[in-house]
Amino acid sequence: MTNPPQSSNITITKDSAFSVKINRFLALLQRLLSNPTTVIGLIIIGLMLSMAIFAPWITTANIPDPYQMPRDWGAVRKPPGEMGYLLGTTNEGGDVFYGIVWGSRTSLQLSIYVVGSTMIIGTIIGSIAGLLGGWVDEVLMRIVDVFLSIPELIFALAIAAVLGPSFTNIIIALSLVIWVKYARIMRAQVLQIKQNDFVDAARIVGDSKFNIYIKDILPNAVTPVTVQATLDMGNVVLIGATLSFIGLSEAGIAEWGVLVSEGQAGIASGRWWASTFPGLMIFLWALAFNLLGDGLRDALDPRLEDR
Amino acid sequence: MPNNQFENNVLAKVKDLKVHFNSKRGVVHAVDGVDFEILNGETLGLVGETGCGKSVTGRSFLRLLPIPPGIIKGGAVNFKANLVCTRCSGRGCSECGKSGHKTEKGEQVDLLKISDTRMREIRGDRIAMIFQDPGKALNPTLTVGAQMAEVFLQHRSLEILDMAGLGQIKNKAILRFAKQDVKLFDKILLLLPKARKQKLKVQEAVKIMVSKALSETQVPNPLKLLDRFPHELSGGMRQRVMIAQALACNPDLLIADEPTTALDVTVEARILELIRELQLKRKTSVLYISHDLSLVRRICDRVAVMYAGRIVEIGKAEEIFANPSHPYTRGLMAAVPSNGIPRGSLSAIKGTVPELIDPPDSCRFSGRCPYEVNGCRVNDPKLRKITESHSVACFINDASLSWCAPSFEEERV
Amino acid sequence: MKDSQKNYSDDLILSVEEVKKHYPIREGALQRIVGSVRAVDGVSLQLKRGKTLGIVGESGCGKTTLGRLISGLNDPTSGGVLYGGEEKFNRIDELKNIPLRNFRRNCQMVFQDSFASLNPRHLVADIVGRPLKVYKEATGADLLDRVVTLLEQVGLGREHLYRYPHQFSGGQRQRISIARAIALNPEIIVLDEPTSALDVSVQAQILNLLSDIQKARNLAYIFITHDLNVVRHMADDIVVMYLGKVVEAGSTKDIFDAPHHPYTKALISAKPDLDKANSENAIGLEGLIPDPARPPQGCRFHTRCVMATPDCGWEVDDVIRWLEDTPGMFEELVGVERKSEFSAVLTFSSEGAAANLIASARSEKLPLAMRQSFIKLNLNNEKVELAFKEVKEVALKSLGHRQSACVLSPEEVSKGAHYGN
Ligand SMILES: Nc1ncnc2c1ncn2[C@@H]1O[C@H](COP(=O)(O)OP(=O)(O)OP(=O)(O)O)[C@@H](O)[C@H]1O
Ligand SMILES: Nc1ncnc2c1ncn2[C@@H]1O[C@H](COP(=O)(O)OP(=O)(O)OP(=O)(O)O)[C@@H](O)[C@H]1O
Ligand code: SF4
Ligand SMILES: [Mg+2]
Ligand SMILES: [Mg+2]
Ligand SMILES: [Zn+2]
Repeated sequence: MTNPPQSSNITITKDSAFSVKINRFLALLQRLLSNPTTVIGLIIIGLMLSMAIFAPWITTANIPDPYQMPRDWGAVRKPPGEMGYLLGTTNEGGDVFYGIVWGSRTSLQLSIYVVGSTMIIGTIIGSIAGLLGGWVDEVLMRIVDVFLSIPELIFALAIAAVLGPSFTNIIIALSLVIWVKYARIMRAQVLQIKQNDFVDAARIVGDSKFNIYIKDILPNAVTPVTVQATLDMGNVVLIGATLSFIGLSEAGIAEWGVLVSEGQAGIASGRWWASTFPGLMIFLWALAFNLLGDGLRDALDPRLEDR
Repeated sequence: MPNNQFENNVLAKVKDLKVHFNSKRGVVHAVDGVDFEILNGETLGLVGETGCGKSVTGRSFLRLLPIPPGIIKGGAVNFKANLVCTRCSGRGCSECGKSGHKTEKGEQVDLLKISDTRMREIRGDRIAMIFQDPGKALNPTLTVGAQMAEVFLQHRSLEILDMAGLGQIKNKAILRFAKQDVKLFDKILLLLPKARKQKLKVQEAVKIMVSKALSETQVPNPLKLLDRFPHELSGGMRQRVMIAQALACNPDLLIADEPTTALDVTVEARILELIRELQLKRKTSVLYISHDLSLVRRICDRVAVMYAGRIVEIGKAEEIFANPSHPYTRGLMAAVPSNGIPRGSLSAIKGTVPELIDPPDSCRFSGRCPYEVNGCRVNDPKLRKITESHSVACFINDASLSWCAPSFEEERV
Repeated sequence: MKDSQKNYSDDLILSVEEVKKHYPIREGALQRIVGSVRAVDGVSLQLKRGKTLGIVGESGCGKTTLGRLISGLNDPTSGGVLYGGEEKFNRIDELKNIPLRNFRRNCQMVFQDSFASLNPRHLVADIVGRPLKVYKEATGADLLDRVVTLLEQVGLGREHLYRYPHQFSGGQRQRISIARAIALNPEIIVLDEPTSALDVSVQAQILNLLSDIQKARNLAYIFITHDLNVVRHMADDIVVMYLGKVVEAGSTKDIFDAPHHPYTKALISAKPDLDKANSENAIGLEGLIPDPARPPQGCRFHTRCVMATPDCGWEVDDVIRWLEDTPGMFEELVGVERKSEFSAVLTFSSEGAAANLIASARSEKLPLAMRQSFIKLNLNNEKVELAFKEVKEVALKSLGHRQSACVLSPEEVSKGAHYGN
């Protein structure tokens, strides 16, 4: 009766559904990779990740705790290149290169723990608020409002200060600050998607509330959450570094913020290297994830999907 | 050039217009050689299914096409504006029959070639357009009242001055204010007590005029509407604001792109009446774009049927409806549910509109046409006159063909 | 409840009884409820097995809301929708477990916006197969076969199984929605403007498809539309709604041959017709569509009705509306002290303005019917005391198989003169 208006070249095989989904994913990937700035972001992220993975092969791990900076008291304040220290040493004879390599692991841990936990918590709480509505929504959103009314950095600072200086506490502090963002995004998404006719259509069909959430609402809501998470992978390291810089992390740990903090005293006397290199790494890390996040946002834009 | 000049009873003439769009999958021939003319004071209906190029044709008059991806591939849109009556400056007097313009025409211009400045002068003033999508055509940062006042001051300043009791005023600053052409020092001049009073009077007059224009389109509470922003209105309300604006300009040509699609029949009837009134008073010509044949039959003097980027049939409304001569026109008319057709037996045109990417050299309707013969699949029919005022682009009953022409008697499904 | 006393005829499957749906209007920071939109305000109707009931009316009159109440997507504020599954009729908002599942299977819906009603991330196979999965009717290869059969019934095919909704045209998407709706072999389908986003040629295909399916399966349709040509073609019976209420109901033929309500008459005369050339008889309705939060007294249509009589419910709001629409008058009005909907004291800024209103109210500027329904109109310095006849809500009256809610008799309506001429 009707002939399809498109000249689609989908071939029907036994697992067509699977191949169509794969194709859709590949198309997304292609859109993502067609944007040069996104590719730059991906390359930087790739390099950083390899650095984190291959850290023990790049430098010899410090015994017993590789996340502590090795101290060579015989080579303090050496400029880059001297005595075999590629990027120089700190006031306490710490190898800046070692700090950068192992610091990438610390940063990765920080981002994954913080973003992972907050994304899950925020998504759950935001979904509950959006789905149930009424007083539950009211209460949850008032809590979120309270959290949001305090500037991120100051709030994290206060929590970290109360908990005491340690790297774990920075993770906790950041998580406590960031989850509200996800809760808010998710709630707004759920409220908006709930209005869609396809949700009503699923209710008419008689599907259960849980199935409707899993099949209809959640998959359509994750896009902005994913984008935000990508951006936060970078931002978290930036805030974490700030906290470390102020001295809320353990001293001597191989972490970029701590290195910047320890090195900054020497800048005035010309020892620029101890804080410049780790600072550059923080900058690159945040930049790379922001580039990727922006690219994702564009690539996931439903208007760009080809017919 | 002189042979390009057209008669005085023609307002605009579209010649072999081609507008294409570059897309990932090829060049979309959205408008592919369209010819028609719009006569003085007439309503020309442009009908066809979705995607056949109606809006693109309408937008070409004002060069409001997205370029790129669009390309104007060729053709011309010639336009001859009416000269404004010198006695009443467009207010409407006995000499010009209240229409505000003389019988003579200005010089002929090709709307596709004139400068941008010239185009801006023509837009809104000589040619107004009601857009299909009312959301994008209004300024989101201005209240409805503010943007309507602007349009009214630009196009109806003399009437507004009359209404404010300032018809004979000499104060240049006020005159310029009323024309929305405020000069640097006018702001100071307008602060003088007398000028200020007059300015307030003008503003008051504008407000009354705007709210009257709005209430004529039957929006509820026009006074309250003035302080609202476009995004606070429903689609139907926005459309009516746009209609009021377009009608206010007193244009020579009004392009109405599905102006009533979002509206109810009762409101629609009212809007059509408004357009009719404007037409009677100002002798405005209207290009009425629609996909609703019954509506077009109701209001149009002449009808052009468009299919896949081409005009396939054009003529006087009575002739087209009494004697539809293109299979597509017949198909469209048969698809309208009307009294007497038993349920379930509407005759639908089979298939869907083909994609307009690199169309082959054949009749564009072949493949969906119930009467087609082999010749239709290898030849491209051109518009040909079947009576003085009725042309059709189809081989049907074409006696001049060496091969056997298709005919309405023989269905070959 | 009621259902034990009432007698339902055999072929009845759904009965809507006095349903109301009011949406609260909230305002201010505290979101206090300041009133309610009476989207549906007391509607009754009956749906018979295998028949099509058309619901028509202007935008915002509550058609979609009524459709959603019937399909159980929303619960009514009061009144009930009764469904007769086996022999007993029960309110659908009180159904639980098995009877509820039974109702759900038997009442499906097709939405106006075919794009919004299909999940953009699901393949056609998932969309059409979903109802079958939910009710565990089929699995695996069997499920796929059933889906293909359904797609074939709506003019699509196996090759469309693994595509996303955005890869289809509007008409094809509406076919997918229809395939989903008939998957469970329901008794009732609520169709909310299923073709209003489509071209005539595609509309014709879909309308043909819908009637074929109806014949084959003895389906009952609730067909919501504002297109009178379509409803005339599709419906056996028609319900005409205005501002949340039914103003006229009856068989399609009767209503189109001789409308008994001035509103229906206006709608039909405004309908564009392929057989009619010009618009001499097309009367656009004068006046504005009232706010459903404050529906007019008496007959809700009296504010726009050309035949309105002094008994149609003229009220204070009509005077205020007139002042609003008269340039220069509304600004002079400084206070309204309402005693009831029908009487009030209006305060103006000057005695002249007040006298102006009185003068207008005695002249042609106000409709004759309105002028004649004043029972008090006094000037008291800058105040105007006015009162109208108090009129009850005009009820739906039966006349044979038809109903209409107008104070005029059908003969008077069909003569159709303005009041006073
Ligand atoms: N901005 C654009 N980019 C690419 N293609 C376009 C663009 N605008 C229009 N087209 C193409 O041009 C063709 C004609 O479009 P047009 O909007 O003129 O159709 P129409 O007849 O007005 O349809 P409708 O009744 O839906 O308004 C379509 O096939 C469309 O795909
Ligand atoms: N969820 C809601 N909350 C508040 N008001 C609503 C809601 N849904 C509908 N309304 C109001 O109820 C009235 C009736 O709406 P409804 O959508 O039923 O009208 P309709 O007849 O379907 O109109 P249309 O032809 O435009 O689809 C409208 O005034 C609308 O603004
Ligand atoms: S009751 Fe009848 S006559 Fe009176 S207003 Fe209503 S429709 Fe018009
Ligand atoms: Mg268009
Ligand atoms: Mg609706
Ligand atoms: Zn003149």
